[in-house]
Amino acid sequence: MLGKALIILGLLAVTDAAHARPVSYAGGWTVMEETDRGASAAIIHYSPSAFYSVGVKADWDRRNDLLFTGGQLTWLAKRWFGEDYQANLYIWGAAGIAKGIDDNPGEEQLAGQIGVMADWETRRWFLGYRAAGRDYGSLDASAFHAAKVGVAPYIGDTGDLHTWLMVEVDQRPELRDTVGVTPMIRFFKGEALLEAGWSLTDDQPLLNFQYRF
Amino acid sequence: MIRTLLTISLFALAAPAFAQDNTAHNSSTSYGSGSHFGDQGADHAGHDHKADDHASHTMVSDLALTRTPEIDAALAAGGEPVVVKVLGAVCDFCATAMNKTFGRRDDVSAVHVDLDAKTLNLVLIPGAEMDDKRLRKLVKKSGYKADDIARGAALSQR
Repeated sequence: MLGKALIILGLLAVTDAAHARPVSYAGGWTVMEETDRGASAAIIHYSPSAFYSVGVKADWDRRNDLLFTGGQLTWLAKRWFGEDYQANLYIWGAAGIAKGIDDNPGEEQLAGQIGVMADWETRRWFLGYRAAGRDYGSLDASAFHAAKVGVAPYIGDTGDLHTWLMVEVDQRPELRDTVGVTPMIRFFKGEALLEAGWSLTDDQPLLNFQYRF
Repeated sequence: MIRTLLTISLFALAAPAFAQDNTAHNSSTSYGSGSHFGDQGADHAGHDHKADDHASHTMVSDLALTRTPEIDAALAAGGEPVVVKVLGAVCDFCATAMNKTFGRRDDVSAVHVDLDAKTLNLVLIPGAEMDDKRLRKLVKKSGYKADDIARGAALSQR
């Protein structure tokens, strides 16, 4: 089943980094909370180098009442530098335990997740893409992908409050509304990032938070 | 929905051209944390400065030292200024990474990343040395890439 997920990811291929950088500077920690129209997740990462991070995560699939807990490894496979832009390609994988919660009687299963993220950004424009798949044994196997585009209405300097207006479009083949559209606003200041939005497709909130230290 | 996706794709394709144009000509920023002197009214690093800009840059070649109270205090204490052109520094997380990496070093007395000028500005403690190879390695450790490097007393006196 994981093989299927890998094939799906390969077909989805690569281009953008939707949620902000999961790999920090050497010695840096990152705390992330992500809530979209289908799931909520909490992740804490430590970056031994600027090219990979290790962390733990809890991922709650609210639609299917599934909870995944495990460890995650994220690798910055490639970073492109320019005077006015930066682009990144990340590959990540997580292994742990998945189980049913609330109304789902599913018992604990060994489980895995895998994904790619890519982004290109200047101080004005942002383009991102992410794709991920999971194999929760007999509980679930699925994949999704999402693209995000953003524009900064003004250019802030170091330490200023940075603001981005963004739209994310995601596709989740297992859902009734397979394509979702979520406009959002991103605030970014110093070590903290906050994204707040609303899924026009499902009337569900989006809330992402990230802090580095 | 296909129409929406097509629109986004076209938007994405057009973005790089707009981005380059905006970065090169249209950025005008109100500075909060840094101050830049010496070249008010000049268009350096692709940015027009406002008339009330406190910003202070001291120029050497294409690089300018961005002055902050911490940088000034470190210079007054006799430290050596160093300015590094950094590629890929486009957001506050980039600045944070370099501020943390250099700020915790004993041989650095002040550090400031200027996103507008795309520079890492350091003042070493008096008597400390950090060669270019070491500087580039530390910038890489932060996750970025060092381009040109300028240093020395002349940097802060021009």
